[in-house]
Amino acid sequence: MTLTADGKTAKDPTLVERWLEDQREWQRTAMSYLDSMVKNEDFLVHLGNAMRGSLLAGKPYPTADPAAQPAAQEAPADDRLDRVLFALHQIQGQLTDLRMALDDLRRNGKGSPSKMPATRPKAKATKRPKRPAPVAARKARPGKSRSRG
Amino acid sequence: MSGDDEERELEALLELSRRGRAKLERLHEVLTSPGHYGTGATPSAVVYRENKLRLLRLLDEHGQPRKGPPVLFVPAPVSRYFIVDLLPGRSFAGHVAAAGFDVFVIDFGTPTSEDRYADLTYYVDGLVRRSVRIVSELTGQPAINVVGYCLGGTLSLLYAALYPDTVARLVLLTTMVDGDVQGGIAWVAHRMGLAGESYDTPRLVPAAEVKSWFEMLAPGSNSLVGRVTDLWDRLDDPAARLRDVRTMATWVDDVVPAPGRLLAELYKKFGPGRNGLMTGRVQIGDRMVELAAVRMPVLSVSAEKDLIAPPEGVDAITKVVPHAEVLRLPGGHVGIVAGRAAASLWQRTVEFLATSREGAHGT
Repeated sequence: MTLTADGKTAKDPTLVERWLEDQREWQRTAMSYLDSMVKNEDFLVHLGNAMRGSLLAGKPYPTADPAAQPAAQEAPADDRLDRVLFALHQIQGQLTDLRMALDDLRRNGKGSPSKMPATRPKAKATKRPKRPAPVAARKARPGKSRSRG
Repeated sequence: MSGDDEERELEALLELSRRGRAKLERLHEVLTSPGHYGTGATPSAVVYRENKLRLLRLLDEHGQPRKGPPVLFVPAPVSRYFIVDLLPGRSFAGHVAAAGFDVFVIDFGTPTSEDRYADLTYYVDGLVRRSVRIVSELTGQPAINVVGYCLGGTLSLLYAALYPDTVARLVLLTTMVDGDVQGGIAWVAHRMGLAGESYDTPRLVPAAEVKSWFEMLAPGSNSLVGRVTDLWDRLDDPAARLRDVRTMATWVDDVVPAPGRLLAELYKKFGPGRNGLMTGRVQIGDRMVELAAVRMPVLSVSAEKDLIAPPEGVDAITKVVPHAEVLRLPGGHVGIVAGRAAASLWQRTVEFLATSREGAHGT
């Protein structure tokens, strides 16, 4: 018997009643998982990771896919597209070098480095000369690019 | 068996059922609640992008850049950047920012197929150099502080040797210099076939393969049963604690693929039996890097229980950069940066960075 808040007595649940309640709780837990699986696309990924013992969030646990492994071990036979893409990345860096070199040249005419703006205004980019002299860019430090490509 | 015994047994089963259910409910709560899972803890703005790289500038509570000497964090390009900005209250970069520095963090991003051609030149004389340049431009400081972690420290050291005038102070965290010291990730990778990586026809080394090298260093971490058992035991912890664990797990388990050309070059130049850094001279692209050019103050930190970068291999920096201050801290490779005892490293780093440059070597 248990004393309730209003001073009355309540009968303690029997073992059978507690088993039944436990089963209902399990059903609620299972439903909460099913509900999350339906409503949240990422939940299955997270749950799959947990079943591997990992709480990694956002992406599947990294495992070697046996089917994909032989291909992953070797460089692709035709790598021309990747070579072009990587060359473009290098060119992107060199263009940044060029822009910074030009900014330096402009600043050197206007004042000391300590007076450089705290942010790089994008508007300045539109005022860039259309054909900057590459020689000037190469003389800049440390923006001088040594990257290949 | 008496009726009382049966009842006690059923009670025990009921309790077992209740505890199991509580764990699953806690797991559900953790898996469905937001947190700092790979996003960094401190508000930041992206100030530069190049290829997969993002240069982040930490912001204050008003969303503004901080005023103070600039510090650039260079994490390892083979793991995620946010280990230096893990959680509120457990952020190395955030701590340095709160101490009055204008902090920038490089996020190298996740390489894709074409990035397998990226080599040391691309990283050191490309991405790192331009990041330093951007920081310098944004802050108006011709020389900035650089903090490199693990392989990011190697990139930082090479950069500092190439452009010493642009680095005010250099902090190297668990950065291997002596590749002949046995143990650590370089030796494991060596034994597991890194020597076979081709510089000329590189591949993108899959994340699972990179992860397997790290797992070799921590016996048991590659056992499915061990990992599941460990997680099941942890599910008794409060949900808030588990969310922190999840952030760390996201860092540990989310290893990124590695550019094969970079790994091949690292192995060929600095790996076991090569050990180029210990000679003090390394060829990077068409440049000869002389470590003697590193004249700015240097703090090199090793971890006593580091399985990835053995402390002896880290402390060897004094043989090639004699003025480097060496500090060995108790803890492991990750623990000294983002663990519960990391505050000692953070504080020492702030003290080192805050010290006046007067009296520094060659500056």
